Amino acid sequence: MRTLRTIILSLGMVGSLMASEALIVGKGTNLAKIGLDAKAWESVKAQNIAFYPQSTIEMSDADVMKLNADNKAKNVNIKSLSDGENIAFLLKWQDGTKSVQEGYSSTAYGDGFAVQFPTVLDKLPYIGMGSEGRAVVVHLQKATGKTYEPNGNKDVFHQVNSSNQNAFEANLKKYKDEVAQAGNGDYQRVYLAEGFRSTTQIRDNSEESMMEMKYDKGFWTGVIVRKLKSTNLDLSSGNFPVAFAVWDGEKKNRDGMKLLSPWVEVKVQNGKNLATLMETKEGDVKNGETVMMENCAACHQYKEVKNAPNYMAPNLSNIGGYANESYLIESIIDPSAVVVPGYNTTAHPNFPWYTVDKGVRSSTMPPFSHLDAKSLKDLVAYLKTLKVEVSK
Amino acid sequence: MSQRQLAMVMDLNKCIGCQTCTVACKTQWTNRNGREYMYWNNVETYPGSGYPKKWMELGGGFDAAGDLQAGVVPSINSDYGVPWDYNFEGLAKGEQLKPHVNPTWGPNWDEDEGAGNFPSDNYFFYIPRICNHCTNPGCLSACPRDAIFKRDQDGVVLVDLDRCQGYRYCIAGCPYKKIYFNPKISKSEKCILCFPRIEQGLPPACAQQCVGRIRFVGFLDDEEGQVFKLVKKYKVALPLRSDYGTVPNVYYVPPTEAPPKFDAHGKIIEGSTRVPMEELEKLFGKEVHEASKTLKDEMKKRKETGESELMDMLIAYNHDDMFRLDNNYYAEFAKSKGLAPSKPVDERYVSGKFTQKMKFFAASGVKS
Repeated sequence: MRTLRTIILSLGMVGSLMASEALIVGKGTNLAKIGLDAKAWESVKAQNIAFYPQSTIEMSDADVMKLNADNKAKNVNIKSLSDGENIAFLLKWQDGTKSVQEGYSSTAYGDGFAVQFPTVLDKLPYIGMGSEGRAVVVHLQKATGKTYEPNGNKDVFHQVNSSNQNAFEANLKKYKDEVAQAGNGDYQRVYLAEGFRSTTQIRDNSEESMMEMKYDKGFWTGVIVRKLKSTNLDLSSGNFPVAFAVWDGEKKNRDGMKLLSPWVEVKVQNGKNLATLMETKEGDVKNGETVMMENCAACHQYKEVKNAPNYMAPNLSNIGGYANESYLIESIIDPSAVVVPGYNTTAHPNFPWYTVDKGVRSSTMPPFSHLDAKSLKDLVAYLKTLKVEVSK
Repeated sequence: MSQRQLAMVMDLNKCIGCQTCTVACKTQWTNRNGREYMYWNNVETYPGSGYPKKWMELGGGFDAAGDLQAGVVPSINSDYGVPWDYNFEGLAKGEQLKPHVNPTWGPNWDEDEGAGNFPSDNYFFYIPRICNHCTNPGCLSACPRDAIFKRDQDGVVLVDLDRCQGYRYCIAGCPYKKIYFNPKISKSEKCILCFPRIEQGLPPACAQQCVGRIRFVGFLDDEEGQVFKLVKKYKVALPLRSDYGTVPNVYYVPPTEAPPKFDAHGKIIEGSTRVPMEELEKLFGKEVHEASKTLKDEMKKRKETGESELMDMLIAYNHDDMFRLDNNYYAEFAKSKGLAPSKPVDERYVSGKFTQKMKFFAASGVKS
């Protein structure tokens, strides 16, 4: 089982790769402005990473549940580049339909992609938008038409509907043009989060990035470039983990309804590796299944195993697709190590997933630190098999 | 649950469906870009499909076990109907007056149609609907971003527009479909119970403007208030579709005082009523029978003795009694929280409630 995925990063400062870096500079641009079609990408080797459908929690939209019930994993083709100061990723994924959230519609959703970076490197943040003390910075790009600021940047005049304006003909047209100009068609957001419910938009440009996406012949291509070092991040010391997600607007994907990757190690040349964080071990899957049935199935549903009541605990059907081993081990031994304020406790009040005492969240799940080393290893090996197949 | 809860009572026996409330709200709040199709207050004809179309069948709310139910996000195109406009300017050039889109649905599409056979037993009545500012809001539970909050001081349910990401799960989660998606700003918006007015001691615009004086506004725990008396003392005001489990805080005096039916010869059938109790029971629960009895008893009492506190309240003599709001309460509340009392607008409505709490933001000194 090959679970450690690394992206070999071409570092601009060394060896022959300097040529490709130099090529960009030669065109009057540097990596900070690298585009989708930059020549520099041609010489970079691409790697496929499987993105799995989020199924830990159920999204309470009947259409979404129906449209995404049979989701398979999707291979996303990823390239990356760095010049020692910036990091850039190029993602290419198949999507049969180009979906853009635009027009006067309440049911249009845009395709999109996101890249997640950790603010800490000694532990893996929770894959779903980080966790307490392990915040993540998330860059998001969605395909949308023009969107407007809710407060119109305090320009009340231009927020009033045109039919309520005392204007006609040329004046009305002028007014409509002015309103249109206030819109922004490039839906890029940067968030800081310690678990998905805490996601908060960064508005002070402290985490600047350049993102772009383009649809062509059944494929989306997306690029992101940002600095390795910023207010909240320092990824300049060596290898670091990164995670990705893509949304399919056609299937009304948004928010947690998405395909996501596990944390992936970005390997820079001569970089210090992430050691145990990304480590994987072989185990006896068959025995792991038994351990799982004996210890976990009473609370967790996974695949066809639905002994537990609905909403009692996170669904583990795709946990092997997007959770890393170090996280799984940590959560089995010490469930309270990562407790995300994500799940809405009022939506399903019968089974609280955690309790809060003096601001400290404790998981309702008991620690399984009593499992012997072999059982734990086998259990994790089995958990890693819990995932849907990758679509061809 | 909030510390206190504001509530509204609407007397459906007196609603004439004039839509003054609708217009009051439209001009006060929803005349801006992206809100064209929104009716934070609308008045529907019942029986009818309502707005959005067949909203009662679109899911959301909670089951008996308390679990949030999956719902549907209605489409502006087919379920709300695109608000149409006319080519007024073209008339001068000899064009024929026509709507800019082919209208397929809209608020009051089936106004006054009702049910039954004219003239023997046809009937309809009006239901004005605003956000119920539920004690257990479906929208709040459905939001994956903690963007919806219920104010402690009065239970008003608001959207934090900074945190809202336009995911629309709230719309699926609200069984009343009283939260709307603004496609221009890509965020959800809803009735705010005119909180900037409320905080100054003024009733919501829909209640103030109501020509039938059917609306009462006050705190549910204010035993001197008419809202308390109608809801808790006389129990004649009932929540709409309480089976959705959200514990709504808008209450309705059911329209039990309908005219009688006619027989085949056009004669009045004594003791009959055109509005079937089964329909009212579906909307207001089994309690509707008791409420109907109380209303009839009090009406009789009033006729016989000239006295009935309940009937006097429902006659709605005085706005001051119907609206028991207290701007001092809000001023005191603001003071206790160290907020500027002169600033009525809830800050969280426009800026993230977690924004200041996140240490990263504090460190980088970002203003929300």
